[in-house]
Amino acid sequence: MATTTASITLASSDLLTDELSLSATKTLHKAGSTVGLDQTTGMTKAYLTATTQVDIFPTLIEGSLAFAGKSSWVYISNESEDETEYVIVKVSGNVIGKLYAGDFLWMPWSMAEDADSDNKHADIQLTPSVATGMWLQWCMVNEGTEYPTSV
Amino acid sequence: MATTTATITLSSSDLLSDELALSTTATLTTAGTSTGVTQASGLSRKTLTYGSAAAIVHTALYRAGDYTADKANKVYIKNTSTAATEYFTIKVGDEALGRLYAGDWTFFPWSATSGTKETFAVTIAGTWAAGETWEFDGITTTAANTTAADIAAQVSAQVYPNWTTTVSSAVVTFVARYAASDGVITSNTAITGDTLTSSSGTAAISGGTAGAGSSSTSDITIIPSVHTGMTYEAMLIHE
Repeated sequence: MATTTASITLASSDLLTDELSLSATKTLHKAGSTVGLDQTTGMTKAYLTATTQVDIFPTLIEGSLAFAGKSSWVYISNESEDETEYVIVKVSGNVIGKLYAGDFLWMPWSMAEDADSDNKHADIQLTPSVATGMWLQWCMVNEGTEYPTSV
Repeated sequence: MATTTATITLSSSDLLSDELALSTTATLTTAGTSTGVTQASGLSRKTLTYGSAAAIVHTALYRAGDYTADKANKVYIKNTSTAATEYFTIKVGDEALGRLYAGDWTFFPWSATSGTKETFAVTIAGTWAAGETWEFDGITTTAANTTAADIAAQVSAQVYPNWTTTVSSAVVTFVARYAASDGVITSNTAITGDTLTSSSGTAAISGGTAGAGSSSTSDITIIPSVHTGMTYEAMLIHE
């Protein structure tokens, strides 16, 4: 089994009157177990040149094992160096937030089937704020993914 | 301006045939600027315990209506449980992001898009007598005298559990503390739950939010997987 760890440090000497120095580290496990996650999409580096919404993990099968409460972790970062540029992050069409230049997120992803029956089945969607080109990176560390049969 | 950094490190020597060693640091700035964020909720820690599994309900961590929408807010949540099978389901609005199992943490941006808060106005009119009352949201106002503006000021001075108020002359405007589709306002002129005890005075309702309020689409809520006690830690850094 693989051992993959995710760590975060939040630090500031002047956000509060007391120093902020928060750290957390976690080994990534399969759902409800202590067995390490063993699959990954690998890191994608993409240059998006339109403000069109894109689905970054498009090949999942609705109703597959991936939807059965498995453990999946998603990393997304905005590699832009222009502070005004951002990417809107949605899950199944619902806005979660904006990643501005240099921002990242790390979040679990349930891939629950969408209650609205709009066939989005928890797609993670990104929409760049500009069409002049933005560099983004993303990856997923997960279990249970099934890919659709080619037609 | 404050300088706050968030650093993530992802590492593995055996997930792939090549080593995974990713480290990214973000300086947290306000939306579209290089100015550091200056506000934070502070790190909170809370244990959620319920009487039974059936009694488990969503707990609101952060309500969008309490923060400015569409800013560069960041949320940190950790499940401090040590039982591998215990998890919190994290939701933004109605959308489940995923599960935080024992020891898991998450860090993500939050747009804090609120819904519509119900609002309505009450106009004190007619002939009131001292001692007559108007009750709403469990709060009873007793008229101290017969002057409409004074009674309106009394109504507005009360602290309501679910509403805030402002007053102008004899008109008190109520605004819900939280965006929700509770249906307190059922039309422009109808309200539920108020009681007037006056022989000839009136407390007319007007200006209700057409179509009533609507729930926030991005309140952050968590749901524990067991009722026997699970503890989380959370922090919001915002502008």
